[in-house]
Amino acid sequence: MPRWGMVIDLDKCFACQSCTAACRMENNTPVAGKQQANMGRAILWNEVLPFSEGDYPNVVETMIPRPCMHCDDPACVKVCPVQATYRNEEGTVLIDYERCIGCRFCTVACPFQARYFNWFTPEWPEALRAHLNPDREVAPRPKGVVEKCTFCVQRLRKAREAAQAEGRTFAATDYVPACVETCTGHARYFGDLDDPRSLVSQLAASPRAFRLQEEMGTKPKVYYLKEG
Amino acid sequence: MTATNSATRTRISRRDFIKLGAATAAAGAGLTALRPRQELEAPAAAPDERVVKTTCALCPSGCGLDVRVVNGKAVKVEGNPLHPLNQGVCCLKGQTSLEMLYSPERIQHPRLQTGKRGSGNWREIPWEQALDILAERLSKLREAGKPHTLALMHGELRGQMRQAVNRFMRAYGSPNVISNASLGEGAARLALWLSQGINQLPVYDINNANYVMSFGGNLLESSRNVIGYLGATAFMRRGRPERGKLVAAHPRLSITGVKADEWLPIRPGTYGALALGMANVIINSGLYDESFVRDFTFGFEDFADGKGNPHQGFKSLVLGSYTLERTSAITGIPTDIIARVAGEFATNRPAIAILPTEAGELSSGNALYTALAVHALNALVGSIDARGGVIVQRFPELAPWPAYSLDSIARSGEMVERLDGAGTQFPLAASVYQNVPDRILAEEPYPLDTLILLNANPLYDIPSRGRCAKALMKVPFVVSFGPTLDESAAHADLILPASTFLEVWGDDYLEGTGYAGISLRRPVVEPVHDTRDPGDVLIELAHRVGGTLSEAFPWETYKDLVLDRLSRLDREKLEANGNWSELVYFNAAPGSRAWSDVLGRDRLNAPKDGRFDFFSRELFALLGDGPDLACLPHFEVPSELADSTAGALEYPFLLVTQPLLTESQQWQGIIPTLQECYGLQGSVKWESWVEVGQKAAYALGLENGDRVWVESQIDRVQAVVRVRAGLWPNAVFLPPGQGHRTLVRWGRGAGNNLVVGANPNALVEFGSEPLSGLAVSGPRRVRLTRV
Repeated sequence: MPRWGMVIDLDKCFACQSCTAACRMENNTPVAGKQQANMGRAILWNEVLPFSEGDYPNVVETMIPRPCMHCDDPACVKVCPVQATYRNEEGTVLIDYERCIGCRFCTVACPFQARYFNWFTPEWPEALRAHLNPDREVAPRPKGVVEKCTFCVQRLRKAREAAQAEGRTFAATDYVPACVETCTGHARYFGDLDDPRSLVSQLAASPRAFRLQEEMGTKPKVYYLKEG
Repeated sequence: MTATNSATRTRISRRDFIKLGAATAAAGAGLTALRPRQELEAPAAAPDERVVKTTCALCPSGCGLDVRVVNGKAVKVEGNPLHPLNQGVCCLKGQTSLEMLYSPERIQHPRLQTGKRGSGNWREIPWEQALDILAERLSKLREAGKPHTLALMHGELRGQMRQAVNRFMRAYGSPNVISNASLGEGAARLALWLSQGINQLPVYDINNANYVMSFGGNLLESSRNVIGYLGATAFMRRGRPERGKLVAAHPRLSITGVKADEWLPIRPGTYGALALGMANVIINSGLYDESFVRDFTFGFEDFADGKGNPHQGFKSLVLGSYTLERTSAITGIPTDIIARVAGEFATNRPAIAILPTEAGELSSGNALYTALAVHALNALVGSIDARGGVIVQRFPELAPWPAYSLDSIARSGEMVERLDGAGTQFPLAASVYQNVPDRILAEEPYPLDTLILLNANPLYDIPSRGRCAKALMKVPFVVSFGPTLDESAAHADLILPASTFLEVWGDDYLEGTGYAGISLRRPVVEPVHDTRDPGDVLIELAHRVGGTLSEAFPWETYKDLVLDRLSRLDREKLEANGNWSELVYFNAAPGSRAWSDVLGRDRLNAPKDGRFDFFSRELFALLGDGPDLACLPHFEVPSELADSTAGALEYPFLLVTQPLLTESQQWQGIIPTLQECYGLQGSVKWESWVEVGQKAAYALGLENGDRVWVESQIDRVQAVVRVRAGLWPNAVFLPPGQGHRTLVRWGRGAGNNLVVGANPNALVEFGSEPLSGLAVSGPRRVRLTRV
């Protein structure tokens, strides 16, 4: 059973936000519009977060692309009063939208602000519904539930189905999430962290590797490689 | 959440659930959660799903795309892994192109303005009628012997369309094909022609470079080949044993600066001085490529011409005029940093000095000589068509265009002066986009009768305090191919809505890779609306006007034209891979036979002797007995930089703009996800922001989130303040691309006719450089006042 994880090389990430857009188009997150976006309610599972330190001319800016960290010891799962959010046997943290009661404990508990609440029923101008991804896992979520990055579970399912249809065993390299596929700097790596031969597990052991807010003890499965 | 996953997750009984205290807080919702799971119904029939390969047209890169089409609807875009340029990746513009394809803001049928121009009284008409109206007008104009009073202004044209448009206008009898290149890439192209003697844009082999010096902030954000350069920069850093270094000189810490190894904050408009200062250090220290400079360049040392007249060379000019101290005073970069960077540049070869190709970057009134100065650095370190240097785009050999004869009317058109003054008022220019409104208003050199706008929105690009709108109103008949009701299309008489790139046939050269190759564009879906490809419309018009025009376009459709031109390529490979390419680049050895293709090929008056011109013999031939300085890269201080003038006191800030990756020239304001990703560095969505330096903000009492007017001498626009550490102290930054009107309510609380952000072009009085006709748009002075 793979334990899915991701590595993002910040030396090759150019903050182009292709991951952000690819994620939206793959996972049908709705357009927020100006008013809601200004209230911080734009749903972008895979945002790039800017940080700035120092004064002119000694300024250091850092751009951190931030998917869900799919923690091995996730804070969100612990606080969910209805077990709507859970960590599956492959280590991916998912949400059962039918079970979610919209209490938003998890959005507060998540140290990475990776969770988004549907304040309203998702709306698109009718014409734009044509491009929505028809995969069943990403059907637009109802009002009042929390959603977030799923490592593109629909792609995993389709990859498994394809492997089965072709009569071969599913391999961990058969699937990547949409953000990994589209990454313009080829900065993202995805795979099985438990497989010592996998690229992700080797990169995660690199001296350049670090995780965000490791001190929180949630054991994130998204690793970053530092710049320079 | 899914059928697969829910089967394996922890079961929870009703009793367990009630034990969880939170149920009391959400009893009602809890009941919903306990509803028996609705079994996901299997779809009635397997969906018709396929992947169509095509080529993107949203920026000049032209990446290969794999579009997932389910039941006739395009639902996801990926990069084509078999495409040599993007190699499977896709930027956010490509990703969100489906929002463009299905946008409710697209114009769905041809339209005729029935009221006063610009009044918005439109009547939808069938294509037959629209084509009749235009064809009749063009025929009459031609019969009246005034074909030259037709002009066509265009933006980026792809593949064969460039030549098709020129062919159309030439056969019709008008010299007025006016591209918007003078706003952006014109300077880089001219620099290459005047020094290296090839009429092309530079291509940079970043993959193999050890030191990349980016003048301007566009390299990783909005350069013409941005996706290729992103991949190459990643490769330069982590794809090979030795990590190359990237340095960005820009007044603002743009994303290129953030991601570079070093950011050099530089005074706006002074790139040329920095390049010459670096050249000074490199020459002074003897670090330049001596054998290359000796054998393959011209005008490095002082020399005497055929008549025995002495001339100044690059070396003595640079050593005499661009000392470290002077360069530092002009650019504001400390001497030790200039010296170090110059030393690193010269000793970490292969090194490249990169020219910006985007609007606003070089447009400080010294674009031509700045571009020459920057490109001269490449020659100093021998990076001309060398591995890891500046390479030259190769083009595949396509089937020749069929010959056609020009009748007397068409020939008369070739003799007429161009509307924009290119070639006459501006001898070096190919076209002078920003000069058009004033020439139309002044009826120089003749009154215009019909104006066609193809992929161009001059009213947005060069509003010029309303003069552009006046000029459009003055032209008796304006036709727009606008796919949406942009500012210019709103002032047209007739709109022939263009299809999006996802609905049409076409092609793109693999520009930016160096490889000779072609990328094929194919319809991904049936046209969503009653729109047509401008290529098809031109061919149809040619047939209707008849005569020479009809002879020049012996094809039924634009698809026929493209496939005819590509008929010599391996069609099978082209279809299967979405592109055809030689996938190999051979650097020409200096002095070899191939060398003449990369050095001197397109020279007109200068000798094609395989030498790089520090002293431009092309300019010398043009200017005759002018001063030597006019033929050498040098630096002219933009007048706006003088701090002591009265204007400087009243308008203390220099306006800097720089295109962003999240900006889509034609579609901004219409692609909602681009708006939601728009201002990464300003954390701004659906809005324009103005960056103000820390000290200036403190002095003015401005804080993040304040709304201010950014005011120049000609106009003012509103934006929200972002206090920024990474900005030249007396500069303010206003991103371009915003300020369009949207016609759809996007999300809650959005009013109709919402104008998203502000257009910085409104603040600029556009001028033109005397020789080259390149746009002068910055640095402009502005002031900030609270709203």
